Amino acid sequence: MKRAVVRVVVLVLVASACTGSGAGGGGGGDGGPVFLKIAASDFIDSMNPYVGQNDDSYSAYQYIYPYLNQLDSSLNYVPDFATSWEHSDDQLTWTFHLVEGAKWSDGQPLTSKDVTFTYNTDIKYQDGPTGGAAGSIAHLIKVTAPDDHTVVFHYSQPVPTVLANVQQNAILPEHIWGQYATGDGKALKTFPNLPADGQPVVSGGPFMVTQFKPDEVALFERNPNYYGTAAQIDGFALQLFSNEDAEITAIQNGQLDAIESVPVTSVTTLQDAGIKVFIGPGLTERDFIINSNPDKTVHRELLNPLVKQAFEYAIDRAKIVETAWLGYAQPATTVVPPATGAWHDPTVQPLPFDLAKANALLDQAGYQKGSDGMRVADGHPMAYDVLFPGSERGAGDRAFQIIQGDFEQIGVKLTQRPMGGGAVFSTMTADNYTKWDLAMWNWTPPIDPDFVLSVLTCGQYGDWSDSGYCNPAYDKLYAEQGKELDPQKRQQIVYQMQKMVAEDRPYIMLTYGQTIDAWSPNWTGFVQSVQGLFPFLSKESLTSVHPA
Amino acid sequence: MSRILIDPGIVDAPPKRARGSWIRDVLRERPSAAVGAALLGVFVLIAIFAPLLEPYGTHEQVGPVFGPPSSSHWLGLDDGGIDMVSLLIEGTRISLTVGFAAALVATFIGGGVGIVAGYFGGWTDVILMRITDYFLVVPDVPLMIVVAAIWGPSLFHIIVVIGILLWTTTARIIRAQVKSVRERVYVKRARSLGAGNVRVIFRHVLPQVAPLMIANVVLAIAVAIFDETALAFLGLGDPTSTSWGTIIEHAFLRTAMSRGAWWAIVPPGICVALVVMGCYLVGQAIEDALNPRLRVAHLSVRTFRLRPLAGRGEEAL
Amino acid sequence: MRGIDYVAKRTAFALITIFVAITLNFVLFRALPGDAVSDLARVPRATPELKAALTKEFGLDKPLAEQYLLYLQQLAHFNLGISYVNQQPVWINLRTALGNTIPMVLLGTIFAVVLGILTGVVSAWRRGTALDHISTNLAIAFYAVPTQWLGLVLIIVFAKYLPTYGRTSISFGSLSTWAHIKDVLVHMLMPSTTLALTLYGEYTLIVRSAMLETLGEDYVLTARAKGLSGWAVVRQHALRNAMLPTVTLMALSLGYIVAGAILVEAVFSWPGIGRAVYESVFNNDYPMLQGAFLILTLSVVLFNFVADLLYFRLDPRITV
Repeated sequence: MKRAVVRVVVLVLVASACTGSGAGGGGGGDGGPVFLKIAASDFIDSMNPYVGQNDDSYSAYQYIYPYLNQLDSSLNYVPDFATSWEHSDDQLTWTFHLVEGAKWSDGQPLTSKDVTFTYNTDIKYQDGPTGGAAGSIAHLIKVTAPDDHTVVFHYSQPVPTVLANVQQNAILPEHIWGQYATGDGKALKTFPNLPADGQPVVSGGPFMVTQFKPDEVALFERNPNYYGTAAQIDGFALQLFSNEDAEITAIQNGQLDAIESVPVTSVTTLQDAGIKVFIGPGLTERDFIINSNPDKTVHRELLNPLVKQAFEYAIDRAKIVETAWLGYAQPATTVVPPATGAWHDPTVQPLPFDLAKANALLDQAGYQKGSDGMRVADGHPMAYDVLFPGSERGAGDRAFQIIQGDFEQIGVKLTQRPMGGGAVFSTMTADNYTKWDLAMWNWTPPIDPDFVLSVLTCGQYGDWSDSGYCNPAYDKLYAEQGKELDPQKRQQIVYQMQKMVAEDRPYIMLTYGQTIDAWSPNWTGFVQSVQGLFPFLSKESLTSVHPA
Repeated sequence: MSRILIDPGIVDAPPKRARGSWIRDVLRERPSAAVGAALLGVFVLIAIFAPLLEPYGTHEQVGPVFGPPSSSHWLGLDDGGIDMVSLLIEGTRISLTVGFAAALVATFIGGGVGIVAGYFGGWTDVILMRITDYFLVVPDVPLMIVVAAIWGPSLFHIIVVIGILLWTTTARIIRAQVKSVRERVYVKRARSLGAGNVRVIFRHVLPQVAPLMIANVVLAIAVAIFDETALAFLGLGDPTSTSWGTIIEHAFLRTAMSRGAWWAIVPPGICVALVVMGCYLVGQAIEDALNPRLRVAHLSVRTFRLRPLAGRGEEAL
Repeated sequence: MRGIDYVAKRTAFALITIFVAITLNFVLFRALPGDAVSDLARVPRATPELKAALTKEFGLDKPLAEQYLLYLQQLAHFNLGISYVNQQPVWINLRTALGNTIPMVLLGTIFAVVLGILTGVVSAWRRGTALDHISTNLAIAFYAVPTQWLGLVLIIVFAKYLPTYGRTSISFGSLSTWAHIKDVLVHMLMPSTTLALTLYGEYTLIVRSAMLETLGEDYVLTARAKGLSGWAVVRQHALRNAMLPTVTLMALSLGYIVAGAILVEAVFSWPGIGRAVYESVFNNDYPMLQGAFLILTLSVVLFNFVADLLYFRLDPRITV
């Protein structure tokens, strides 16, 4: 019996070996269909737009669904499914003119009916299943459709971010989703929205999803019924790699065509291998968080502006950029990153790295160094835990070590406390933001600054606030910018808010990350953006790419 | 009239053995044990004298990221520009400490359970063995992941979790040995002369079981070190400490291999392998020499378990 | 009678163990420190309404005993909860993952057994020679290296020749079943081989010692005296003696290896249950983690039970 087993195994091995090596298959060459293979960073967690939260999910929706508008590479709002728009003088009514005669991939008409269905469903269930879309439908009363190719948005008050809001909302096919928007709407979230019975997911964008294996691979093929400029490739595949070394070797061996999110340590490896590497500004920013809850009970010395300034003087951003990020980052200044374009306040200056100044400030604050070199504040040594979520691992560990070493020089002891992201947040919010002192985390905000500014408001306690910062003056400004319709005026308010944050220092911004993508020289035409080559800002990139 | 205290232990005592003679038995049976012991010895010495041996600091950046090996840095630099040799030496200390601590926890608990079950027999035995059996089926790595995920990663948690899972097989093995010792004549005589249970256990049973327990500790150290590298690799280790596992994990996260920085990843793996091999050679040799028929424990570092092989179910040793 | 007695006992034992495992699983996840409710929301910043809804949905406001009964009830219906990440039933997610892991682990075990038998036979046959020492120590060496480390090294060495990630090549259009199977097998080679290399040492040692034992036995000497060639003796007698512990080991290992495959799957991006465990931790997907843990524990019980039955069947000393 054992011999038989051995024989079978040998046969199988020989057979497998004879079928050739490499992971080739599909893709370019020999006049066959032209396909692009992309290594995903975090992959698509769900094909259901009400459920998915990963960046790759948003990008997937961008390419398979119509949106009213999109963001071009200069960060201007340009048409997608809406060809033009205008608003009433009081800005309570916005009218969008849609592409005429459009169709879904299954041949059904794509009209204003789908737009009204999507938005009115979002409004109807915003306290429940569609709660995730609540931000993009703020103050929206209803959406009506006077005819097949026009929709009208009715707002209860003027909203300055209408174009940004509609850029984030995928328009779903009413003939597929309508049946789930009934009752309590729970079915909206449980519908997997996957290819079934050999049919792709019904799509309105340039591509449709024809295959989807969770946590493995997603195949997108060109949608023949797309209303816009057809893609030049026949399709693309998004593949999940749990191992970055494997990604790098795969692209070097021609088994992969593009990588989104190249790790900084691999940039030179790829460049040396002749792979094209694009490095540009990115939206991710890393911060050093100081619990700024004005009502906190212990370690109140951390609320002392002198202490906060001293901390900033003790952080060597240049060294962090150099060692943790191998130079592929920018020292950060304000909480709204430069990648957002005009919203970033360029006049805010960070404090330079100056240990002497830091020491002087702490002396001035009256916290003297003890015999062991550690300062004492209010009777206890200045020793703090730094909450450290898993997302910061790798480069973040190095950044922390640099900060820890420098803080030792100013008499402050830092201890790294690694935890999962959920645990970090529970610790932060426990007992109303009183059980922690310091943390390191990151934000990857949308282009419009509203969101990242909101997380520092009092209202976000227990929700998005990870700093405990609560300043009525700041909240007032936040409310103002949320209503200011004149973009210039709004920009000024946003600048003012950034200066306030830089002064109050709930965050000491560390670095702005860069978007680093790589692709094989066999391809060209990718449109780069602050979100890389597979963004959820527009449909441009993958519809423009073609073999070189 | 002087009182002559008859020590019950002297009656029908087992033939007196010269100290360490069982060590000689071991070496005769398996000369490879000497190699294993030498390996372990070297690493233990490195661990003890770590601070004296490290050429550079383990938090000191002394060169460029992933600097290649050179005359001043024999094994190059890691992703933080820190000297690899220093990291490896520090790692020896942490890894061996974790391994040893976890193994001790496991052996104490397992040994205790095994001795009590084997000695007292009856219902105590049945209940304890049932509990042991149930623990046996809990898969280690997933449990370690769950605990680390819920309680947070820290060296202490790792030691506790590994220890809590390893004791089961120790218990079985010790129990089997205790059972056979218990039947020996001198023990029976001791008890009939009125020696208390505790005394008998400590004076008669324990010395007979001790070598087996030592073998167990040694084998458990290997499993514990192995488990720690697995946890570290999955991101659940303690990043504030430098163990071989976290060294490998850092290198992995920072794509050392595809960058060609083999020196950041190959040496720690080799260190783990050498220690595990050393533990295995020594531990297995002791077991074989003590009771070649027993052929009981079989190191399953891969399946992360020490499992009994001879017999199944109730007959399992 | 003794046979049925034994089987009945082992079955009862397996069932009780399953029950204990289920209870342990519940305790581990519900009665542990940590705020279960805020752990529930996947994006940890859940609104108070969402938290209230989730609390109600999972009965977290009920007393522990009632939660336990609810849990048992759900299990009876294969309801392992809903994954927070994709809102799909945990059981469906895990079923696919398990289906991906088992063939890979099985192939690895088969490779390990074959390799182990070959090296064990050679070592026993040439006992005491340099070949024996090299073979045995090499087996132990491979045994001793960390799995993930070996996997990484193999990737660098074989990246040009074999696929080192994923379960299938990307193919646009459907492959014939045979082509698909071939594709999966080719992708399975690297992870299974890594697993095999780290496992085979055990089998080498068992086979070697079992063979050595038999080779010294009287009936073997008799057979040789009768003129049977050395190799025939080995094949007919010694090897057969080695089969019992080998097969038992195989059955016993499978359960644990499925759990330990986490490392291999992480290195080779293999979409199995190991990787599912790993990812559910980082996604705070507690229902998935709980479900995966339960399934892994149950698979160990199952394979141990199979090993018990096999042992009974194969052990020549047990007379019925």
